[in-house]
Amino acid sequence: MSETPTHIEFGEYSRRVPPNIPAAVQQATARFLEHRQARVDEMPQWEDLRQAASDLRLHTLLHLDTYLEKLESRVSAAGGVVHWARDAAEACEIVLEIARAHKVRRAVKVKSMATEEIGLNQALAAAGIQALETDLGEFIIQLAGTGPSHIVAPAVHLTKEEIAALFSEKLGVQAPADPVQLTEIAHAALREKFLEADMGISGGNFLVAETGTLVIVTNEGNGRMCTTLPDLHVAVVGIDKVIPDWESLAVLLKLLARSATGVKISTYTSFISGPRAVEGEGGPREFHLVLLDNGRSRLLQDPLGRETLKCIRCGCCLNVCPVYKNVGGFAYGWFISGPVGAIFSPQILGVEAARQLPFASTLCGACADVCPVKIPIPEILLHLRQRVVEGDEFGGPAVARVVQVGAKTAALAFGTPWLYRLGARLLPWLSAPAQRQGWLAALPPPANRWTKVRPFPAFAARFRQWWKGRHPRKQP
Amino acid sequence: MISASMAIQAQLFITCLSEHFYPGVLEKMTALLERLGVELIFPEEQTCCGQPFYNSGFQNQARDLAEKWLNAFGRSPAPVVSPSGSCVEMVRHQYPRLFKEGTQQHALAQDLSQRTFELTEFLVHQLKIIDVGATFPHTVTYHASCHYLRGLGLRSEAQQLLRAVRGLELAPMQDEEVCCGFGGVFSVIFPEVSQAMMESKVQNILNSGAEAVVACDAGCLMNIGGGLRKAGSAVRAMHIIEILASQG
Amino acid sequence: MSHPVLDEVRRYLGRGQSAPLAARPAVPPARQANSTSEEIELLLREIQALSGSAAHMAAGDLDAALVRLVQEQEIKKACLWSTPRLADLGVERRLQDLGVQIIPGQADKRSLAQCDLGVTEVDFALPETGTLGLLASAKKPRAVSLLPRVHLAIVHPAALRADLQQVFIEAKDQHYLVFISGPSRTADIELTVTLGVHGPKALVVWVMDD
Repeated sequence: MSETPTHIEFGEYSRRVPPNIPAAVQQATARFLEHRQARVDEMPQWEDLRQAASDLRLHTLLHLDTYLEKLESRVSAAGGVVHWARDAAEACEIVLEIARAHKVRRAVKVKSMATEEIGLNQALAAAGIQALETDLGEFIIQLAGTGPSHIVAPAVHLTKEEIAALFSEKLGVQAPADPVQLTEIAHAALREKFLEADMGISGGNFLVAETGTLVIVTNEGNGRMCTTLPDLHVAVVGIDKVIPDWESLAVLLKLLARSATGVKISTYTSFISGPRAVEGEGGPREFHLVLLDNGRSRLLQDPLGRETLKCIRCGCCLNVCPVYKNVGGFAYGWFISGPVGAIFSPQILGVEAARQLPFASTLCGACADVCPVKIPIPEILLHLRQRVVEGDEFGGPAVARVVQVGAKTAALAFGTPWLYRLGARLLPWLSAPAQRQGWLAALPPPANRWTKVRPFPAFAARFRQWWKGRHPRKQP
Repeated sequence: MISASMAIQAQLFITCLSEHFYPGVLEKMTALLERLGVELIFPEEQTCCGQPFYNSGFQNQARDLAEKWLNAFGRSPAPVVSPSGSCVEMVRHQYPRLFKEGTQQHALAQDLSQRTFELTEFLVHQLKIIDVGATFPHTVTYHASCHYLRGLGLRSEAQQLLRAVRGLELAPMQDEEVCCGFGGVFSVIFPEVSQAMMESKVQNILNSGAEAVVACDAGCLMNIGGGLRKAGSAVRAMHIIEILASQG
Repeated sequence: MSHPVLDEVRRYLGRGQSAPLAARPAVPPARQANSTSEEIELLLREIQALSGSAAHMAAGDLDAALVRLVQEQEIKKACLWSTPRLADLGVERRLQDLGVQIIPGQADKRSLAQCDLGVTEVDFALPETGTLGLLASAKKPRAVSLLPRVHLAIVHPAALRADLQQVFIEAKDQHYLVFISGPSRTADIELTVTLGVHGPKALVVWVMDD
């Protein structure tokens, strides 16, 4: 899941989902939602916080240039080095440059979606630099060689037996299938790695422009380990993670953990403004911040693109999405999945590369109800569908002409009253032989895609005649 | 309270799905509203509000159909009533987006968007009636259709009306507010996922122990009803109007 | 200073240079504190809910508490912050009396990693979420609260704050701040919560009056 995808086949991927994934995902998300509800119930100011968060994020994006300039200036004043990366390749090259300059051989990483997006681990490996994932879930899937099934709980699809087998095989230890002991094995295996690493790599949850502060949120403590123990810390962060100031940060931190997994706050939150002040304090001697564009700036021209960039990557939309919960993260074809993936990927990659994703939704709206920054996801999906089939000023179309012609023809039939009424009369008559007890067991393609799953109701239009009989003289 | 001197008028928006697949629902809705003193108008040239096209991304085609819909219903100043949450959501929230501000069509869309109602909200909020005099001595469970619930914000209207029905027992359903998997074109573009969602919904209905599941949207009923039939279940999928029109 | 990325940002926002900043939207009001004793009770409760150990005690109880801690957690080596209050309380001396070897807080990371116990104060405490806020300096090394498997944090009631906003007003210009809410935890294996995966396995918090 590291190279930038050129063609996301959601339909095909969703058909190949192993059966254990939906069950595991449903169990995890049910728990997260239950806890989240308890948090929401105890906070009468919840809706005020959501509105404030949405307003703050939108304000920032509308002034992103000003805030990015301020951020750069503050980070530099604090002794950090700011780099700008236009795309994934440039970002990887910058990190490699820094690594080479410091003769880095071993790096430890905190979970970071931005580094997954750019395929950093692969780029480092190709350059002979070992980049070890240290979040337990990421550590596990790195050993397994697979991608994450959920953006917050990436290994939720694996059983403890599978993890034990994985540890036994890859770490050469006797690993019992017990979470406590497996955790201890991971702790021991990674402890030495933290201490010997030349470089710590992280992403970032927020960048506070006011003081040039990087905010990193974890539960395990590996965020602290990676950004405290090695002499060198490199952070790769999307430009959309900038927020104006600490007051804004307070609003977002109150929403983030509660929305993600339903805890009030995650265990560790680090607020990092540049490298350490003195050696005895501990912490890195050098701090580098790589600001990643990779298509985000292009979204700024579209009001719905700006809404998309408000995302703070909490994963709550995944937790409520019935489509996501039946297929898991792999089906969305990139590092970001669920409802936010369905709007992010087509806009960043273009609808040609991800044309199925806007349709991978029933538009039920559960996501918009819970999003802490009030992204109008169904509205964005509808616009992206238009971009796919009709094309708009920002891209598309990405369907064959024949599809568009078919839609025009159908609309003509629907929109011509006498033709529509004729169809209403003919269809019951035409389908009469095939219907049983008010149902049609099979329909011709493409409608058989319905009847393969369940019967279709029989055509039975008769209201207009009934109305005329009831109200012979009533006309509008 | 309706008195003869202030008879309410309403235009019937029958919707393409109900017209083709649930004519009984339309007949019962007509009879119910007339019994409650509403003078009904049926604009004959109505066809489809355009939602299937809109939801598929064909906004140009949806706009054409929307214009025709607005002309059909714009002639009369009376409010519009419909048995479908999703179609009303289309008119109320999406129609104004289809037309450029300042145009005549946009003004007409704004106008109709403010006076188009789903049936249960028309009963509860316009007619101010909760007890329609119905009797239905059975256990039913309620499925909250997505556009009805989240699109229109109707969180209690259906339940209020159901609780006033004589003899009716409302059994809770787990995941009452979770989508049934219809989603219009979704059901044929990604049939396997639609199936998984439908089967979860059917299982929750069966677990509720109810004799019938009631919803306010024909799309959901087609999907759930078909699923129940496929599962060999005797549980009926009913539109709320069928219950509200029931006299025992 | 210009760069292609900033230029692109400006271009897609539809302007040639940065526009004057509109007023930043308002934020909801901060939480107000209850009485000090209620806030302390809340802090203890929240830390315990996070599987931390928390108690309110007088300075005179310190000795007995340290004896218990060293015994129960089998402390052989410890490192400490170097603050006036910890010096006044004589924590280092008391630990040495109990046979614990003291590693200087400014020692290298491998030495600190050998410690069983790290002792710090806190610069802030947020009762609402059971959160401790720690700054960093040569006398307050970061790794003391990170590497040992037991972290003992001694909290003065004056460190309590009602809301994140207050902490941020006071701490925003510091180059480092860390919030610690409970011991290190994960639920990445079958959603079973386990402690001590990377950070300290045990968090012990003593709210101590003068």
